[in-house]
Amino acid sequence: MTPRLPTNPFATRFTRPGVLPPLDRHGNPIDTARLVRSLQTGAVVVLEGPHGHGKSNLLAALLAAAQAGGRETLLVRMRTGLDAWKAVAAALTAPRRACLGCDGWERCPPGTTAIIRGIAAVRRLSVIVTAHGPLGLPVLARCGTSARLLAALVARLPGHGDLIDGHDIDDAFTKHAGNLREALYDLYDRFERRIRERCLAAQTTAG
Amino acid sequence: MADAPRFVVHFDRPDRTYDPLAPIVVRYEVHGLAAHDTIRAVEHSILWYTEGKGEEDLGVHFFERIIEQERLPPRTTGLGFESVLPASPLSYEGMIVKIRWCARVRYFFAGGRDFVSEHEFLMGGIPPARMPETGA
Repeated sequence: MTPRLPTNPFATRFTRPGVLPPLDRHGNPIDTARLVRSLQTGAVVVLEGPHGHGKSNLLAALLAAAQAGGRETLLVRMRTGLDAWKAVAAALTAPRRACLGCDGWERCPPGTTAIIRGIAAVRRLSVIVTAHGPLGLPVLARCGTSARLLAALVARLPGHGDLIDGHDIDDAFTKHAGNLREALYDLYDRFERRIRERCLAAQTTAG
Repeated sequence: MADAPRFVVHFDRPDRTYDPLAPIVVRYEVHGLAAHDTIRAVEHSILWYTEGKGEEDLGVHFFERIIEQERLPPRTTGLGFESVLPASPLSYEGMIVKIRWCARVRYFFAGGRDFVSEHEFLMGGIPPARMPETGA
């Protein structure tokens, strides 16, 4: 039978936006319901932070909280400038007072951001966008990270046995300058290497 | 909050390892259904998905949705599904990406609650990828 190695708990399926709960930089849960209640209709607000600091995860959690509160929600992930037109279409077709998430607002050409803001104002939408730096928009949350936050996230992942320890977490966090996405990928690689070493050692012992 | 039902799944091959193009038969029992649980629909599927770093992918090979009450628990107890596997992709234990095959059972209850249970199996016999040699 083909050997099946243990599941890598740092795989994307366990860490992609919306799977892990949003935590603040100290590793404490963020009150998404409170943030949703603070949203004004007809306005665009921003989740601000560098790459890999949890903006997309927080956005997914906010939309889930808005949905749980009875609001219609839509999410547009903007990978290229052309996706801005998907956001325009979403803003035009969303029910009034819906909550629209735009992940990657800086990829929108300036003209389209003005169009989306205009539509949001007219249709009383609450628009939450993510951005790496100041945009001149009201900031709903600034996303920060710490090694403690990374440890708190790792503690919420499926078990990794004793293959990853606190030193690995601190090292991955430092090596990637606080970028949690890259740090989790780093831990994924460490787990893969060690699980193979362990299986190889077990085969050698058995042989 | 209602307790989740428990699925006991039996594959026709006890080692859960299949060749490409082989038939696969999945039977299961469901336990822990509350008396007030009304099942609206059941979905059975056989699918592969990737697991690893970065983008994910999946492909559904077999799918059926059952909504006829006479085919749903509690009226039916012997539940299962079968299919013939495709030629590819084979199960693969790579370092960056893995390919997993699974049989999935999803129950939809009245009130909007649903429950998903996945049961992995292997297709093919590709050994796990080895770590690249390091050093000179």
